[in-house]
Amino acid sequence: MRQSRVRIRPLDLILIALCIAAGVWFLFLLKERLHYEWNWGAIPRYLFRHDDERGWVPNLLVQGLLTTIRLSLWSIVLATFIGTAMGLARTSKLLFLRLLGQAYVIAIRNVPPLVLIFIFYFFFSEQIMTLLDVDGFIRSRSETTTSVLSWLCAPPATFTHFVSAVLTIAIYEGAYITEIVRSGVESVERGQWEAAWSLGLTPWQRMRAVILPQAMRRIIPPMAGQLISTIKDSAIVSVISVQELTFQAMELTAVTSQTGRASLIFEIWITATAMYLLLTLTCSLIARQLEVRLNRHRA
Amino acid sequence: MPDKDSCATNPRTGDVIVEAQGLTKVFANGVKALDDFSLTVCQGEVVVVIGPSGSGKSTFLRCLNGLEEIDAGRIVIDGVELNHSKKNRRAIRTEVGMVFQSFNLFPHMTVLGNINLAQELVRGKTRGDATDTTMALLDKVGMAERADSYPAQLSGGQQQRVAIARALAMHPKVMLFDEATSALDPEVIGEVLGVMADLAREGMTMIVVTHEMGFAREAGDRVVFMEHGAMVEQGPVEPFFDAPAHERTQTFLQQIV
Repeated sequence: MRQSRVRIRPLDLILIALCIAAGVWFLFLLKERLHYEWNWGAIPRYLFRHDDERGWVPNLLVQGLLTTIRLSLWSIVLATFIGTAMGLARTSKLLFLRLLGQAYVIAIRNVPPLVLIFIFYFFFSEQIMTLLDVDGFIRSRSETTTSVLSWLCAPPATFTHFVSAVLTIAIYEGAYITEIVRSGVESVERGQWEAAWSLGLTPWQRMRAVILPQAMRRIIPPMAGQLISTIKDSAIVSVISVQELTFQAMELTAVTSQTGRASLIFEIWITATAMYLLLTLTCSLIARQLEVRLNRHRA
Repeated sequence: MPDKDSCATNPRTGDVIVEAQGLTKVFANGVKALDDFSLTVCQGEVVVVIGPSGSGKSTFLRCLNGLEEIDAGRIVIDGVELNHSKKNRRAIRTEVGMVFQSFNLFPHMTVLGNINLAQELVRGKTRGDATDTTMALLDKVGMAERADSYPAQLSGGQQQRVAIARALAMHPKVMLFDEATSALDPEVIGEVLGVMADLAREGMTMIVVTHEMGFAREAGDRVVFMEHGAMVEQGPVEPFFDAPAHERTQTFLQQIV
């Protein structure tokens, strides 16, 4: 990737000046009209708190961040799996598989994600998980198992919530990944399919050794974008009380406003924004590196 | 038209290896690409198929290894019929090598990887055995030094020579060449035709769709002239070019030579 030289023109200077002016005006309004008192000093104690027995432990906001990371990771893994399977189904020779993939994509993409969350929560978490007694199963595990599960997913008390949240996000994002995988596979030239065919490769060998490696190069950039979306979209499961970053920020906002102290609303949400940015920008950086690496063999 | 007897009596050739009878192929848009086309090829024979574009030459080759399905007719290759049996279809496409106009090398693999792939996956060879075969073939097509190059680093002529080696690595009983030099710059056509002529001399059974009449005269045993999906005329190379029987063939040869 070549860096093109940045040239600053008069128009750019005017725009930058306008942006700074808007920022200053916003701060001015906060101060003069809303009489907002900044209190950044109150934030650190919501990041980490001192426990008499365990020393420094994560408090609400960092707990939320950790839950968001767990939630995103599992959702990404599952969504990639669903999306790849469905994407391949959409390029299948078999009509049934194609229709299955198509129905899935159409159904998911045309329903608001919030509605999906509620459907999954009430149907899956309340009915099926109860039917299967997942809750009881988790609770009856040994202490080591539950502590590992708490570390990887969620503590037993909120485990079913967590699982239905992961499933919802994965199924929602999976629909978009399906389309990314499908277009990637279909973008591989017909000659490649024919050459693999005429060499006697089975359909599976052809997909694995010839088509997918070429499709991957084209899939990686939009896929990275979708995975970053997954991190952002995970905020939506706050409505079913999964205690991720957005949920914790809302809780904290409510608590700090109630106790009569000066509200911390801007400090809390700016902190949450920074935390989301930390996650998404790190992922962007990794994706960029991966892209460069994958393109190395292209002359 | 050659049959079992003429194949056996011709000192240059062996038994019948490709038998295509009454092939008909109609595309979805209604175009009749093959219209009751029949051809028999003997082992070791080099058949050059010529004809104006759209005459069904490429479609014929693509039907022979199952890339296109025929609507009517019968294809038998080395005693195996190309029918709906998956086993037969796989056997045939493994035994029939194909060289494409656009090379179709796998861009994400080196030359070595391209040629090793099907040997390992389809023939079940070990990496070492496959590499031995590959290096011998690369030597033969004059590409041994470029084994570790990627296709994008090679010229068109070099890519096509690698593609020929890739098809040969499966030890095919028949090689199909679908306008193998049409996408090449004039100055590199010769190196690919040279490899093809060597193959012909070694006794490979070849069906070659081409516009290179020089190659047809030099390396071909028999010429087939097609038009509108049907055979107009066929015959041994010398009499075909010197005294074509059909008026349509005469016109075509005048245009192209």
